[in-house]
Amino acid sequence: MKNLSLLLTIFLSSMSIASIAAETGQILVNTDLKSEPFADAKTLASLPGNSAVDVLKRQGGWMQVKPAGNGQGWVKMTAIKLGGAAAGTKGDSGMTSLWNTAMQGRSGNTGVTVATGVRGLSPEDMKNATPSPDAVKKLDNYAATKSQAESAAKSAKLSKQNIDYLADAGGKK
Amino acid sequence: MMARLSLLLGVLLLSSGSVQAFNLDLNKLLEVGKKTTDLKEVDEKGEAEIGSASAAQLLGAAPLVQNEKLQGYVNQVGLWLAMQTERPDLPWRFGVMDSDSVNAFATPGGYVFITRGLLLRMRNEAELAGVLAHEIAHVLKRHHLVAIQKNAKTGLATDLMSMAVDNSSSQYGEWKKKALSASTELYARGLDKGDEFEADRLGVVIAARAGYDPYGLPSVLQALDSINPQDSNLALMFKTHPSSRQRLDLLDAAMTGNLERYASQPMVADRFEKVVGDYARRGK
Repeated sequence: MKNLSLLLTIFLSSMSIASIAAETGQILVNTDLKSEPFADAKTLASLPGNSAVDVLKRQGGWMQVKPAGNGQGWVKMTAIKLGGAAAGTKGDSGMTSLWNTAMQGRSGNTGVTVATGVRGLSPEDMKNATPSPDAVKKLDNYAATKSQAESAAKSAKLSKQNIDYLADAGGKK
Repeated sequence: MMARLSLLLGVLLLSSGSVQAFNLDLNKLLEVGKKTTDLKEVDEKGEAEIGSASAAQLLGAAPLVQNEKLQGYVNQVGLWLAMQTERPDLPWRFGVMDSDSVNAFATPGGYVFITRGLLLRMRNEAELAGVLAHEIAHVLKRHHLVAIQKNAKTGLATDLMSMAVDNSSSQYGEWKKKALSASTELYARGLDKGDEFEADRLGVVIAARAGYDPYGLPSVLQALDSINPQDSNLALMFKTHPSSRQRLDLLDAAMTGNLERYASQPMVADRFEKVVGDYARRGK
């Protein structure tokens, strides 16, 4: 029985790998579908709340979506809940599926190490932990120098900007 | 440390205008502490000590991932971000913790941690930068330190007072122990919501200053909002933070009209996929 549910878990998580390519989303409230990722762009259609869309990509605070009918356009990212209406989504975005595949490969047929990969961080775990000052010292080995950080930024074409911090709704910075 | 601590206490006592301050109302004392601008200055070494002790506690709960390349990468990204802030010269240390939990932590003095569970859910370096910058902001604003100091319930303030009477090393050890326990409790309970929102607002600016698409953090919040809230890997993050949806909405409102012009800055997906993807594919 236990083995069966493990198998089922593995089967389900391999399925999520495929679904990542086409991410789905759910429109939260009635939203205008815009021709471009700008508030003053032309409105193409009105998307009703709870309607499903395919999410194509994100640009700044906007997402390009394809509603169930036809055509595509842009909506604010705040108007979308990723994963869509399907309950119990695991939110396995990014590299999670690669990791899961690696864990399955390691576990072979038994699936044993699927469980050993689980390391939680509950409040109890944190309170009951034995401090590990050696691990803190080990961080020094991984530390970057400023010139390393600068050249890493340069190679990714990141250029510094002068920007003030943002005020909150009450004007407080 | 010892000298600094007594100095701090001296400052507190002097400002209160009373040497016989031991029966002082705690609130009054804390008020004085808040107003004393020297407090932060004096406290920097103490901050480092509480920070490394708190980091040791966190790493005792979940160890570092044993992958030098990954850790080095996160440190380069993190330091580049920290260099765009008011505290560029702290001994910043970044680490990936080997845990399925989805979370990130900062401890005073410049320690920043992200869990494997959160890192693997990301899609590009701008997302990583957004989360690291949020944690960096907690350190910049000394959110944890101030919360520990404010927390009269821990009796920490009382202990600080008694240090003035007898600052023997055993007393100091006791004080440090209490500070650490207050700090551990804080990581289990979380900061004020206002501190989290502030760190969000600072974080997106720090990421934009460093040249990244500032929507990395909102993008992570949106991804977190899609995870089943019953997922135990999110229990601590959900307990200690306002809802991802609320954070996303407030951030978007604050960013609109201010940071949109930086939205076309790089997300740096290639390098992220290479380093983090390589780690994920090998599973170690």
